[in-house]
Amino acid sequence: MRLEVDIRLPLDRFDLEVELKAEGPVTGIFGPSGSGKSSLLETVAGLRRGATGTVRLGDRVWLDSAAGVCLRPEARDVGFVPQDSLLFPHLDVRRNLLAGAGRARRNGGSPEALLGQVCELLELGPLLARDVSSLSGGERRRVALGRALCSGPRLLLLDEPLASLDLPLRRRLLPLLRRLRSELTTPMLLVSHDPIEVQALCDEMIVLRDGVAVARGEPHRLLADPRVFALAEEAFENVLPARHLRREASTSVLRLGEADGGVELITLASSVEIGAEVLVGLPSSEIVLATERPVGLSARNVADQRRGGGDDARRARHRPGQRRLPGDQGDVVPALRRRLKRVRQAPPATGCPGG
Amino acid sequence: MTPALLSALLVSLRVAVVATLLVGVPAIFLGYALARWEFHGKRILSVLVGLPLVLPPTAVGFLLLRLLAVDGPLGRDTLGFDLGLLLTWKAAALAAGLMSLPLVARTARVTFEGVDPRLETMARTLGHRRSATFFRFTLPLAAKGLSAALILGFTRALGEFGATVTVAGNIPGRTRTLASAIFSAQQGGDTRAAGLLMIVALVVGVAAIASAELLAPGRQRTEIR
Repeated sequence: MRLEVDIRLPLDRFDLEVELKAEGPVTGIFGPSGSGKSSLLETVAGLRRGATGTVRLGDRVWLDSAAGVCLRPEARDVGFVPQDSLLFPHLDVRRNLLAGAGRARRNGGSPEALLGQVCELLELGPLLARDVSSLSGGERRRVALGRALCSGPRLLLLDEPLASLDLPLRRRLLPLLRRLRSELTTPMLLVSHDPIEVQALCDEMIVLRDGVAVARGEPHRLLADPRVFALAEEAFENVLPARHLRREASTSVLRLGEADGGVELITLASSVEIGAEVLVGLPSSEIVLATERPVGLSARNVADQRRGGGDDARRARHRPGQRRLPGDQGDVVPALRRRLKRVRQAPPATGCPGG
Repeated sequence: MTPALLSALLVSLRVAVVATLLVGVPAIFLGYALARWEFHGKRILSVLVGLPLVLPPTAVGFLLLRLLAVDGPLGRDTLGFDLGLLLTWKAAALAAGLMSLPLVARTARVTFEGVDPRLETMARTLGHRRSATFFRFTLPLAAKGLSAALILGFTRALGEFGATVTVAGNIPGRTRTLASAIFSAQQGGDTRAAGLLMIVALVVGVAAIASAELLAPGRQRTEIR
């Protein structure tokens, strides 16, 4: 189902002016905090007054200010997952999950069946009888996600689903989100300031700055642009698809990229089964560049750059019709190199996050 | 327990219960409106609702008396029939209710202000209309604080003297409440009876305040996360 947004909303510091056509399963809205991301999400959900323009999902019109149409939030059939979960403290987990059951039923769904499906998908079964106040941060997120899904939404709105969770929790939640992505037909709009999130989850994204979309396209490609990843507030981390090839003693060997011929990467032994598709996070702080093949270094992996270096790779990106791998070094290395250059040139006061 | 004491206790309880039932819903509604809505005259309404707290109870009683008097706006001459409230326990309940309304409305307002409005927003994105959101989410979330508000109102009505005695008098067996019975006993020099009545009032009051304490917002506030 196609989501079309073309809205204008006056905010305190600037006007939010966004045009967005989303067809992929997951569309990202990326940008620093205060760029209007959450306002955009709330406008789509119908929670913001004063928005003008249009919001359409498929053949349903949610907002058309010229025609005087503005559906109330309860009539829009969105599943909204706010950053702080906002679970109902007076209900247990099960009743939280069923808080939107009425709508699911009105839309012809069966809340009980939906509940079973969602519990399995998000591994919520053991939590059902729990009190909301006893849940951990990660559990709260899963319940909030489950509650939205159990209401039978036509569009899922996720506001920073992984923000402020620590690494082990992210590790647990990210695969669940990827599973949702592949098993659900509900389109999703995901707001994030985290490059990891958008790279791992989004098919395409728009980059928002001061209420205006400054770039749009495929996340890996956009994040190779220094102007885009400079907007990320956390240390930049490349997220690359890989396959688990084999285990050796205390290490695992992964192959980066989606096809054969990519770089092999040695990591600490992974418990993931052999042959499985995984995502590898490669923080920029863990990468060292050298003009010659280094020796006597503690680095676990040494990957040869494509001959011709960054300039060649940069040129290659603009060659039309070329098959590109998101994990291709051509994407990553020039970006990092430019970033390093930027850090070196940047005056100390403006410093670069994670640099 | 003497029959006179028992009757005073029963009249007091009847007056307080009816007063609470009478003002409970309007006061909670007022509290919600003051907590959540922006409208013209909100400040004026807020002041009016608080007025019975600061006026001498006898002044409120006098106002009510003028209102219900034969030639008053709600009297026989204006309406064409007699409401028959004055000098009955019903007038006492009305006066006691009026006196406890600000307490209930203010406590309700604070309670509603403590309910995260974004939880209500959340309920609406899950497909609930405004009214369903209020009854299925806002009210349950505010339940503890609202119960405490009602108990406070009840105790206020129970102890009310000035306004009730002005509109309902102090008729033994009919409109004599614990408060007016104590006054009469003390005025009549019956210290023992006054002391006994005081102890009964104390027991009822302590029980009510203790249950309000248990339910008060702040002890187990609705979690805003």
